[in-house]
Amino acid sequence: MREYAYFIGCTIPFRESNYDLSTRKVMEKLDIGLLDMPDAGCCGLYYELVNEMTHLALAARVISMAEELKRDLLVLCSGCNGSLYRVNKKLKENPELKDRVNEVLSEVDREFKGTVEVKHVIRVLWEDVGIKEIKKHVSNPINIKAAAHYGCHFLRPSDEMDFDDPREPISLDRLIEVTGAESIDYFEKSLCCGGYVLAADQKAAYMMTGTKLRNVKKAGADIIVTACPFCHVMYDANQKAVEAELEESFGIPVLHYPQLLGLAMGFDLKEMGLEQNRVRFNPQMFNNKKEDE
Amino acid sequence: MNLQEEILSNIDGRTLNYCFSCGMCTGGCPSARVTDSIYNPRKILHRAALEGRLEEDIWLCTNCYTCQERCPTKTKVADLISLMRRIYVKEKGIPGFIKPLIENLGACGFTARIGDLENKRRERMGLPSVKQNQEVRRIIEKTGGGL
Repeated sequence: MREYAYFIGCTIPFRESNYDLSTRKVMEKLDIGLLDMPDAGCCGLYYELVNEMTHLALAARVISMAEELKRDLLVLCSGCNGSLYRVNKKLKENPELKDRVNEVLSEVDREFKGTVEVKHVIRVLWEDVGIKEIKKHVSNPINIKAAAHYGCHFLRPSDEMDFDDPREPISLDRLIEVTGAESIDYFEKSLCCGGYVLAADQKAAYMMTGTKLRNVKKAGADIIVTACPFCHVMYDANQKAVEAELEESFGIPVLHYPQLLGLAMGFDLKEMGLEQNRVRFNPQMFNNKKEDE
Repeated sequence: MNLQEEILSNIDGRTLNYCFSCGMCTGGCPSARVTDSIYNPRKILHRAALEGRLEEDIWLCTNCYTCQERCPTKTKVADLISLMRRIYVKEKGIPGFIKPLIENLGACGFTARIGDLENKRRERMGLPSVKQNQEVRRIIEKTGGGL
């Protein structure tokens, strides 16, 4: 059985635990083991803006926990992915910097060795599992139009992330299509959700969120599919606030990718934690047999 | 150290020298678009290189890296903005809107206060609990991270 050290970060346990729930169910179905790291805490992302050594040490701490488990690190959040992937690469390539970081980590009896990889869940599904294998488990094809939202930090900066095509990515689109859904094209597909400036300038953030919701609606999408808990917060939990700010209505349900895949695998809405998604939807749209009974 | 020296002492910062102010970064920038170019990465880089000044506008970067992807000279625009934010913090302290995150990290090891309430919800969903930790606090203190 393939196994990964499993990192959920902060946003997921705070307000998006259904992303965690659906990922676990889907991975179990695919015969992939997830080893919990309950005291992992934060990836250090925000310290990239505050203090470089704090950022490096906080990220290296989380990676060192996966090293202890001798497993690659599977990450659900794109922000965590950007932070951990880049720090892992930087420290592996720079022994002098690694030594300085390890001096800090000795404070908490940990050491970064550089022995594991950091992988976003979409990357694991795309590269390690593969469409062919996933397809075997699809028993309830979902006949809807979905708009893939890739977000920023698992594609960019592309010279470091080294995954998919940063301008015309296909991984999430293909993963959507394997569920039976149509992954539609829409204007400004690579646009950021705006989450990163929410605290600094809420209006600017909501205008970005709203721009994408508008583009997706115009293109006729039934749902948006995300690969990051914070993008999900912006489009789903904050959709009402964005509608109020822009005096416009969208009403687009937003699913974490594993929720869509899980429904296609035959899990019911509750098993995928869909009652916690904020934007209302008609359950019929997912052709979900167990729910109809 | 003045701003230019700080920037040039950093490996990503040195790419500031590649910039010829073409504005590709700003043309594709979502923040520039929704702020009527009050946020303008071309100007921010230009100002840093020629005047050695930092202003509050650096906090409007969404960190989406579109600028850096599109830059024809491979200037690390987004990484430069992050670097300028760290220099800003060194000079003027941590901005008010980031402080709560840092306080939460110090208190529980997460950027939000995660505790019994969240774990009860997780338990109802059949999910394992997450634990608060003090290691994050100790690392922040050891590295002068502002606690």
